[in-house]
Amino acid sequence: MQQFRWVGRPIPRLDALDKAVGRTKYPSDYYMDNMLWGKVLRSKYPHAKILSIDVSKALKHPGVVAVFTHKDIPNNRFGLFHKDRPVLCDDKVRYIGDPVALVAAETPEAAEDAANLIDVRYEPLPVVDDVFKAVEGDGAKVHERGNVARQTRITFGDVEEAFDNAEVIVENTYRTGAQIHAYLETEAGLSYIDEKGRITIVSCGQSPYRDKKEICETLALPEEKVRVIIPPVGGAFGGKDDISVQIFLALITLKTGRPAKMFLSREESTISSTKRHMAYITMKTAADKNGKLLANQTEIILDTGAYEGLGPAVLDVAIENCNGPYKIPNIDIKAKLVYTNNYFASAFRGFGAPQVMFAIESQVDAIAEKLGLDPIEIRLRNVVRRGDYGVFRNKIEGSVGIADALEKARMHELWLRRDDIRKTRHRPWIRQGVGVAAAVKGYTIGALPDKGVVGIELTTDGRFIIKLSSTEIGQGVVAAIAQIAADMLSCHLKNIEIKAADTSQTPDTSVTSASRQLYLAGNALRKASEEMIKKLITAFSIATGEPAYNASVSDGYVVSTSTGRRLSYSEAARILEEKGIGREAFGEYEVPRTTPIPGTLEIPHLFYMYAAAIAHVEVNILTGVVKVKKLVLLPDAGRVINPQTFTGQVEGAAAQGIGYAVLEDAKIEQGILRTINLSTYLIPSIKDAPAMEVIPIETTEDTGPLGAKGVGEIGIIPVAPAVANAIKHATGVRVLEVPITPERLYRRLKEAGQNTPR
Amino acid sequence: MRRRVVRFILNGEEVEVYVPPAFTLLEVLRDVLHLTGTKDGCSDGDCGACTVLLDGKAVHSCLTIMAQVEGREVTTVEGLAGDGEPDVVQKAYVETGAIQCGYCIPGFIMATKALLTANPSPSEDDILEALRGNLCRCTGYVKIVEAVKKAVEEAGR
Amino acid sequence: MNRLHDIEVYSPKTLEEALEILRREGDRVKVIAGGTDLIIQMKDGIMPRKNLLNIYSIDELRYIRMGNDSIRIGALTSFTDIASSALIRNYARILADAANTIGSIQIMNKASIGGNLVNASPAADSIPPLYVLDAVLVLRSVEGVREVPIQSFYRGYKKLDIRSDELLTEVRVRRMAEDEDGIFLKHGLRLGDAISVVNAALLVKWDGDDRFKDVKIALGAVAPTVVRARSCEEALTGKELNDSTIWDAASKVVNDISPIDDVRGTAEYRREMSVNLLYIGLWEIINKRNQAGW
Repeated sequence: MQQFRWVGRPIPRLDALDKAVGRTKYPSDYYMDNMLWGKVLRSKYPHAKILSIDVSKALKHPGVVAVFTHKDIPNNRFGLFHKDRPVLCDDKVRYIGDPVALVAAETPEAAEDAANLIDVRYEPLPVVDDVFKAVEGDGAKVHERGNVARQTRITFGDVEEAFDNAEVIVENTYRTGAQIHAYLETEAGLSYIDEKGRITIVSCGQSPYRDKKEICETLALPEEKVRVIIPPVGGAFGGKDDISVQIFLALITLKTGRPAKMFLSREESTISSTKRHMAYITMKTAADKNGKLLANQTEIILDTGAYEGLGPAVLDVAIENCNGPYKIPNIDIKAKLVYTNNYFASAFRGFGAPQVMFAIESQVDAIAEKLGLDPIEIRLRNVVRRGDYGVFRNKIEGSVGIADALEKARMHELWLRRDDIRKTRHRPWIRQGVGVAAAVKGYTIGALPDKGVVGIELTTDGRFIIKLSSTEIGQGVVAAIAQIAADMLSCHLKNIEIKAADTSQTPDTSVTSASRQLYLAGNALRKASEEMIKKLITAFSIATGEPAYNASVSDGYVVSTSTGRRLSYSEAARILEEKGIGREAFGEYEVPRTTPIPGTLEIPHLFYMYAAAIAHVEVNILTGVVKVKKLVLLPDAGRVINPQTFTGQVEGAAAQGIGYAVLEDAKIEQGILRTINLSTYLIPSIKDAPAMEVIPIETTEDTGPLGAKGVGEIGIIPVAPAVANAIKHATGVRVLEVPITPERLYRRLKEAGQNTPR
Repeated sequence: MRRRVVRFILNGEEVEVYVPPAFTLLEVLRDVLHLTGTKDGCSDGDCGACTVLLDGKAVHSCLTIMAQVEGREVTTVEGLAGDGEPDVVQKAYVETGAIQCGYCIPGFIMATKALLTANPSPSEDDILEALRGNLCRCTGYVKIVEAVKKAVEEAGR
Repeated sequence: MNRLHDIEVYSPKTLEEALEILRREGDRVKVIAGGTDLIIQMKDGIMPRKNLLNIYSIDELRYIRMGNDSIRIGALTSFTDIASSALIRNYARILADAANTIGSIQIMNKASIGGNLVNASPAADSIPPLYVLDAVLVLRSVEGVREVPIQSFYRGYKKLDIRSDELLTEVRVRRMAEDEDGIFLKHGLRLGDAISVVNAALLVKWDGDDRFKDVKIALGAVAPTVVRARSCEEALTGKELNDSTIWDAASKVVNDISPIDDVRGTAEYRREMSVNLLYIGLWEIINKRNQAGW
């Protein structure tokens, strides 16, 4: 593998020091003189008709400047796939987080008190809280178009025939819960009118250009009147992909001319923010006597809640990955996206893959058990390899490291000690076990158009400013881009400055999601760098009269390979300026894409990331508490740009996987979320996070920037099934529902008669 | 609004604020003094992001009212770096890659500082106990534990 | 979740001043000690908004002292101080263990034992150990002093035997004797900081015959107040101890508790966890004695 000066080194992130000393300004940290505070009144009911909204009392409350309702929104429906979401509700409310009115006041307490003075008369409607009843269609409708937002069926081969010839068939129904992002910084932002008269929104988000488009469309504002800036965000994980405070902020500043601040309370954020889709998955899987998978019949229902959001795409990802990283000749997938009044589901790290991977990886384990095969062996007999054709008869062109990951897992000491671990009991009620799972997910936005632009400016003192609209949501993309840029432009890392995510200053680099920001921005950067280097060499030729083909760049200089003469980047900048050639270069990259298979929007992908995981658990059979003691993660994410950032991404995703597997139980009862804060919705603490070992499987992705793929999501996907398989190994009980909370597991253990200490 | 003067020592300097006495220290640090290094993750005492030192001990600034702060010493993340040089704990978090989105980090750093002041050579268990009330959603904590160990090592030199 | 912008706070420096304000204001003020629970309850509107009597600065109420036959703990003593006190670790270890689990370090540093007692959460981790250690609460007013045994202090869900002019100033607990052992148990839904689904304190007195001469068991989060598990205590006292007798005894706890469904667990789960937690506790106590060569 080619060696680089910066890429591949565990360099501390450029943005880390400012964050450590408290200097970094996050969206919640902005204040301005004469600023108003915005506060949203949200729905009281999961489903109700709005009869009237009376804001007169609120308007009279001291300190209140304005109160807005749907009447103030020129185009009151928006959404990325389907415009079904109101900015402020008009005819109905569809979940308890739905916004009904917006108050702007001089102080946060005046805003809150006034919100409580708004008199909304509702006529409660039957709550659609059950996806199965929702699809029957004879009850209440969440939207006029009916409760099935999308449905499709994908078939290849003949599953029925395969079932007839199978040695073993396993059929189960799985349920997965609604995971809450629980980023440490809730939704926040500040708006004001900038020096050019633009309504400027500094807020959380994952795509400044897309947020701007939605602001302009709903408020009927021309593009040039709005500017969106996304500073470093306090965590996102997909939960800031959809609009939250942005349109509200713009509205207050538009109508009052004053700056406005919003910062949601934890409870408001937890109730109103998007969630991971609850899923109901029935799977019937068949194999021959050698463990060769023959067929997989799957029915997926995703509960998207009140609005579609990114649901249609999430459903596609669920469809694409429900067969795991395996070659299965006969598949039949029925999939539905269903409206309910439970919440609002949209993007969350993994985007549909964690749900289906829990199902297929439990299935494969169950088949291995029936056939008496080693769980890793059965997976190796079925995994896809580079150049193979996948389940959709698509050729897998990109790098594939899953077989390698599983081979390494098989030789890992934790796996080798599996049976000894199982036999060890330090208390009569403790059981231990070790489980494995594999995972796959496409990165890039599949068959949908996806392109991005990156700009480079050479400063007069010979440094580079990289301009892009990637958002720094914690993942380290900005630092990784800087590292790549330093190698591509052959300079010291300290001479790279990044300017990110300001629609008035940085070009559109598409949305930061789908684990592909590094891939996309990195490739656009490569093109921009080539352009920039051409300019540098042009300057060299002008200065020296030597032909361009003699010159190359090296550590801050353009150097002649024949004469050894050199020109510093700062001198080059001066020449470019004088000659009017310009010191800027742009690169545009369009992610190569496939033709979607009929019945889907955006699959298959051209590129996939993979992972295997081994989990070691300890189960208390008297309480149902699962302690994950160790997690080994073997991700294939292409070339590692920064080992520190890389392992950090995998560890962090895996910890969210632990939460998803055993802790995070979003309790929703008849459309009311009961776990609205961090003492009832429990995310892993430092004592819940296991020891982790990350073993990168470094394949080189030829089309990636310097061989990189994407790593943002893969770490979460294999965790829940690996934990569930480990619990099965420890206790003999297979749990078909995540999260495997203590009470849920205890019940299953008791039903199975496995709760007796001995 | 019922306001009154509250005097206390903030990052080594005497300050005087004119605020409602039942406002929380967090509300005053951020919204009145605009000292935003101290983060507001939940305002419920569940996440630890708002941790400051009150007379040297780690407390939630969201669960401390101004009347309780009167006459006491408060240290925030901004007060750790002396003469512009970051504290050894801050440096350790940077160098080990323990910072991703970083919103929880000031709280972690303050809790770590309190731990190391009370116990300069903590065991791994001591570290986990000291930080069990600080939530991080990005890192999975592995590098945070490494950071504390590195800070212990560096401080011992 | 609204800010406390309209509240007056009285901050006396001495106990005497505090009692005087209480006499004068009575029900019009709410006492704030550490405030770690009160602030949230008031901001969320769970507790009515009232002016506050801030006793946080009355340092004369922070102490841990050996009394004649008891340990005396000042009401403002923080859980950090209780957990790390040599006196409590030596003579009331189960209280120290419970103090370590009541919340994060940040909460332990600020929350006080008196605040915890008056806050009266049925799930408070500090209370079951105080039940089995026969705690006595000292209540002061300008009128005088009352000493109330902990069990009669709690009359129902958040109903306390304390007058509006009284302040809880001290908690006294019995010292554990040489022939006594105990354990504090907590079942929460997370390994880190979590509110108890069930908690329990067990205190046993061994006789010379490998049996319990006396047993005291208290459980939290399974009734409107912390409760004693009298049925279990009876079934264990003086009886032969083996796996089946301790299971049987633990199972009797369902007669002593009246749990409800809430966001952390169903009543049914709480009942079963009460039994299982007591089994685990008894097993640990007996195992420890066996290991010690008995």
